[in-house]
Amino acid sequence: MNMIELKNINKIYEDNTVALKNINLVIRKGEFIFLVGPSGSGKSTFIKLLIKEIDESNGNIYIAERNICNLKSSRISQLRRNIGCVFQDYKLLSNKTVFENVAFALEVIGKPVYEIKIRVPQVLKLVGLYNKLNSYPHQLSAGEQQRVSVARAFVNRPPILLADEPTGNLDPGTAEGIMKILSRINLIGTTVLMATHDRNIVNSMRRRVIELEEGEIIRDQKRGVYGD
Amino acid sequence: MVRTRYFFSETFTSLKRNFFMGFTAITTVAITLFIVGVFAVIVYDIQGITSSIKSQVELRVYLKDEISEELKEYIEQAIIGWKETESVEYVSKDMALERFKKQMEGSDILKEIEGNPLPASFDITLNNPEKIDQAELRFYDRDGNFIEGVDDVIYERKVVKPLFAITAIIGTISFLIIIALLLAAIVLIFNTIRLSIYARRKEIEVMKLVGATNWFVRIPFLFEGFFEGFAGSIISIILLYFICNFLLIKGERAIADIMRIKELAIVGSGNVMLYVYLGVLVLGGLIGILSSIIALRRYVKV
Repeated sequence: MNMIELKNINKIYEDNTVALKNINLVIRKGEFIFLVGPSGSGKSTFIKLLIKEIDESNGNIYIAERNICNLKSSRISQLRRNIGCVFQDYKLLSNKTVFENVAFALEVIGKPVYEIKIRVPQVLKLVGLYNKLNSYPHQLSAGEQQRVSVARAFVNRPPILLADEPTGNLDPGTAEGIMKILSRINLIGTTVLMATHDRNIVNSMRRRVIELEEGEIIRDQKRGVYGD
Repeated sequence: MVRTRYFFSETFTSLKRNFFMGFTAITTVAITLFIVGVFAVIVYDIQGITSSIKSQVELRVYLKDEISEELKEYIEQAIIGWKETESVEYVSKDMALERFKKQMEGSDILKEIEGNPLPASFDITLNNPEKIDQAELRFYDRDGNFIEGVDDVIYERKVVKPLFAITAIIGTISFLIIIALLLAAIVLIFNTIRLSIYARRKEIEVMKLVGATNWFVRIPFLFEGFFEGFAGSIISIILLYFICNFLLIKGERAIADIMRIKELAIVGSGNVMLYVYLGVLVLGGLIGILSSIIALRRYVKV
């Protein structure tokens, strides 16, 4: 099944900067993809389009073979429940514990308590933080905080996981830990799309690499490397 | 269940966090609605008083002593025939003297009266006191003189006209004050909601990211606004209750005794105060929800 498909996508911002130019792309279920390219090449725009944080200027986007371009605002929340997101700055809530931060993602989409009590410990085991359930974010290292963020993105078992520079603030050793978790999540069948600058990670993983430059795809390579 | 508990806990966390702003907003709503309530009572009473005075307004037509029985009969029939006439009473010279004696009982003036200088009259009560000018004109002929047999026409113009004006002015002023206060209350609640949206912007961002619906994001803020409006209105009802039952009620008792007016807000038989309390409650809730909706529309986008 085609999990993500973009047809002739263009994105021009209101100040007339062209962020994406004529993007055509198919990502199949279960793929692991690196989206690489320098700052300003359109990686973040790409991710924002997929979760409809912004709208495309023209073209069509299909998620799980359904066109999301003309979604009503009430449907956008449904779309986002099927796409987990991880960011460089973690976006954790500082007044909530690790458990509460992850549970929050389920609470706000109306999951019942018993389900939350089962799923949250499960996913925290997956990211290796089961022993830190009651810690607050400021008591955790940067790597641990990012793992909480991954747990939150994945706790609802979305078929797609998007990660925007998830290792951007981490040292190489810690980044490797995050990559192991993302690989594990991918192995379960989740489609993972990760935007990154991190040459070493891309080169060591040998997955499909899509390279953007000035809003255009200049390379799409199976088992690729970061580039020159 | 989960959701209800979630919404309540979110609402109260937020109220605690913004305690001072929330307190200010609640106080403003309380004061505003209290004044609204007091004005409602006052306006209701003034209306009762004026309508009672209006119904007491009558036109008195003095007749010349030498008027013939036929002409008197003719005029009386004519008055009865007008559409603005509620009732008409003939007061003969003797009756007028009796009335005068009663009013002036014990006064020295009575000793100086010789014979009966008082004229006979028709006392006309009008069904619509505002038509008093029109009724008066019927006693003039084309040249501006009184018609035959009529000596003079009087009514209490000096009292009636200013009374209407004062009622209108009090109504307008209280309306303007109430509008200004309501706006102040709305702005204050709007501000508390705006602040708590700002305080929770990270949570809102995460909620949207993981797919919470718009309503799920909005409801805690609607609760918060509603709570502030509602709490304010409860306080104002308590204040109103004490002010009305210990202070205003004395004034109303005096008015009821002296002027024999039954249609008053507190001592009257109608459940006027119940409606005032109910109105204040509804208004409080509406102010709260309305302010939150405005704040959410401006600050929480999809």
